Amino acid sequence: MELLIEAIGFGLAAGAVIALGAVGFSLQFGISNILNITYGSLMTLAAYIGLFLIDRGVNPWATLAIAGVIVGLVSVGFQRWLLAPLARRGTRPFAIVIVTVSAGVILQYVILAVAGPETQSYGDQGGQTFHLLGITLAASQVAIVVLAVVLMLALHLLLTQTTLGRAMRATSSNRILAQSCGIDTDRMSDVAWLLSGWLCGATGVALAITTAGFDFSIGQVFLIPMIAAAVLGGVGQPYGAMVGGLAVGLASELAAAYSNPAYREVVAFAILIAILLIRPRGLFGAAWATRRLMA
Amino acid sequence: MYLGTDLLAAWGLNLEFGVAGVANLAFIVTIAAGAYAYTIFTIGSPTSNGNFQQYVGGFTFPFPIAVAAGIVAGAVVGVLIAITGLKRLRQDYQAMAMLVVSLMAATVVSADTHFLNGNAGLVIFPSFAPFSDQDPEVQRWAFVGIVFVACAGAYFLLRRFTAGPFGRTLRAMRDDDLAAQAIGKDVVRLRLAVQAVGGAFGGLSGALLIAFIGGWSPSAWAYIETLALLTAVIVGGMGNDRGVTVGMFLIGILILQGVQFLNDVPALKALESYVNRTGLIHDFGWIVLGTLTIVFIWLRPQGIFPERRPRYGGQTS
Repeated sequence: MELLIEAIGFGLAAGAVIALGAVGFSLQFGISNILNITYGSLMTLAAYIGLFLIDRGVNPWATLAIAGVIVGLVSVGFQRWLLAPLARRGTRPFAIVIVTVSAGVILQYVILAVAGPETQSYGDQGGQTFHLLGITLAASQVAIVVLAVVLMLALHLLLTQTTLGRAMRATSSNRILAQSCGIDTDRMSDVAWLLSGWLCGATGVALAITTAGFDFSIGQVFLIPMIAAAVLGGVGQPYGAMVGGLAVGLASELAAAYSNPAYREVVAFAILIAILLIRPRGLFGAAWATRRLMA
Repeated sequence: MYLGTDLLAAWGLNLEFGVAGVANLAFIVTIAAGAYAYTIFTIGSPTSNGNFQQYVGGFTFPFPIAVAAGIVAGAVVGVLIAITGLKRLRQDYQAMAMLVVSLMAATVVSADTHFLNGNAGLVIFPSFAPFSDQDPEVQRWAFVGIVFVACAGAYFLLRRFTAGPFGRTLRAMRDDDLAAQAIGKDVVRLRLAVQAVGGAFGGLSGALLIAFIGGWSPSAWAYIETLALLTAVIVGGMGNDRGVTVGMFLIGILILQGVQFLNDVPALKALESYVNRTGLIHDFGWIVLGTLTIVFIWLRPQGIFPERRPRYGGQTS
């Protein structure tokens, strides 16, 4: 029982980080119809920017915000100057994925060349521990869960309550129709990539805070549970990604508690395969999403 | 030698990706399957090796049977991969699923030490069975001969696939699978078939490769190795067997081997000793490779040698 409760606690913390990343990933896909594999390496980039800042005594949470902004700007540039022009030339979606994979590899190895292959760590950022209902969590984990909840709420409000959010959703569901309604869809893309890039950077730093040590492959490895969460929730569906993140986090921590910890990612993978086989549009995927995925 | 096995792999990938349009970013897994199958079929039982490596099975079969096992394993794994993602998904969605499959396969094999000795990998003593009594130099050349024959045979087979009616069917499916379906082609079955054939090429490549280098571990088949093959396919020209051959020559010689010559560039050498890291030049190779892929997709997506469009009688638009 104790093991179960402990695993649930860790699952919540892990799920919060996964959800952050998965929401950003889903947002990008929803708005520009591009699966951006570079996302993983961008998380790594954020983790190393965070390392640089924290080593110079910057507060971890400020670091998270700053790294987010930098990665957000990089994402916008990447989309506007590489991916969007490619899409306009009629490059096939598959070729674009190859481009994002390649860009991810380039970035990953640039990071490796600059920062070296050693395992890095932010040092102990745990802070004091909290006990609640038998769950023991470090202050940093609690803070990340809270942060994730706040960010999700903020995103929800943005998407539903503001003109900008509505315009973004319109762009996401039908770009051409949105354009003819006078929405500047290119600007919406920029905004979406800035937001999701920020989430990506924040996820990278949050991930580095919660893990004991990381190296240049951190983002690439984390990509698996994150994609699993995004697919589980239905790619392009930010809300689905939130639920998906939690589900994947809980499932993998439970599996790690009751069997070989090395199988943590395997559970995420099993979920992904099952979803792809049974319900490719994800739990919350709408019919239009299905139509788009089954081309 | 490496070129030969790389060529086999690149042809297999071209068949899947260039001709049939199957976005297989997990291709390296079929190569790995071939290599592991070959190992298990030649290595002998765990106890005879003093139990220092743990793995499933363990037989001592002669070289041809082990290679055949590698081919079969590659084909089976190819089909298994196909089943997970290729049902009716969009191409880029497939690609993502494949990428995850590749990452995961490596994770599973590394994590489970009882299955294939985990992260440490398996080591065999390369004894090119048919020539094990010859001196090493002769063995090596004999092996190059075997690979050459395998390549020649495989190329002949490949042409039968890609240049014949089967190839035309696959191209039709790639260009418009709805249309292909409408004229009565079973798209899912075709994709599985092409995955099996491509996987067999991968398995053959893996089996021959490990027979030569004698060791295999998860780090040898990271997903990024697929990218190297993919670059060869893209640079050479998707769907064009000859183009891919040239592409593999270019990538194999210029990048994979050429990286070694970068050691002779004084500036890079100085940089490497300045940051005090060996391996920097190796990383540089991947950066060049990734850049090359992006540049080609940007500037010349059809590759150096574009796929030749078959000409039919009458007017074409």
